[in-house]
Amino acid sequence: MPRYRKELQAQAFTVKATMKNSVVAAPPSAGAFRERPTKPTTFRKFYERGDFPMALQHSSKGNRIAWKVEIEKLDYHHYLPLFFDGLCETVHPYEFFARQGIHDMLEHGGPKIQPVIPQLIIPIKNALNTRNRHVICNTLKILQHLVMSGEMVGEALVPYYKQILLILNMYKNMNINSGDGIVYSQQKRENVGDLIQETLEMFERYGGEDAFIYIKYMVPTYESCMIT
Amino acid sequence: MSSPKSMSRATGWSEEVENLFRFQQAGYRDEVEYVQVKHGASVDKWPESGFVKKLQLRDNTFYYYNRRRECPDEDVHKVKVYVY
Repeated sequence: MPRYRKELQAQAFTVKATMKNSVVAAPPSAGAFRERPTKPTTFRKFYERGDFPMALQHSSKGNRIAWKVEIEKLDYHHYLPLFFDGLCETVHPYEFFARQGIHDMLEHGGPKIQPVIPQLIIPIKNALNTRNRHVICNTLKILQHLVMSGEMVGEALVPYYKQILLILNMYKNMNINSGDGIVYSQQKRENVGDLIQETLEMFERYGGEDAFIYIKYMVPTYESCMIT
Repeated sequence: MSSPKSMSRATGWSEEVENLFRFQQAGYRDEVEYVQVKHGASVDKWPESGFVKKLQLRDNTFYYYNRRRECPDEDVHKVKVYVY
């Protein structure tokens, strides 16, 4: 006569799990890709106080920033880390101001950017640690702009790779296998996996001789684009 | 103050159309009006492409423009070309 046995749910590594008719429950999610909420940034505080020398101009072609002071006269040591702090923001207009403000300052900074690099590392690390896809994409595009913005900037970033490249290791393979379908995120440069690959290639190109070894140490699956 | 005789719309993109687009975004007709309003100030341009880099608006704030093309194809026909 067959005996009807129900399967028992059991937690792993318990005595109950060793029984014949027990099914071990799956492990709880570790939350590696869970988004971390950010606390209000210093950028938002300064913006609401009106400390930034810029205004938002609405036009038919979208928004623009109008600067009240010439960018060349700005103190980069004070303003650039504040703008990088605003990269964690996801709400309009803070997100737009931070992104566009950084873009303008990097375009016109020249030699003023390189001495400020050590102060930018913590804001970049915080932005990447939010695990928010949109924030990560923006930060990567800005990192690409940063290494191209001036001479020696890429090489100045090399000692800080171990702080900023850790999170990229997790997201490097985030590509969608859509078969023969069209993936528009790649065209719009919103595909995280491809952006990471582009950014690492730029780091290697502009980082000098030792850049590849440091990148390989932090992102072991990265292959060089310069050495054949 | 010289004023233009006629105005037409741009049909295709070119470097002059790109610069006109940038001036018109800042609220001026073109370089002639900018120089008149700003009393002979020279226009900052990017050395490689010759596009306008920085403009001062009438309220004395500044607009900064990219090295590369900013005028999209759908906005080319809205650019006004003035003839003096």
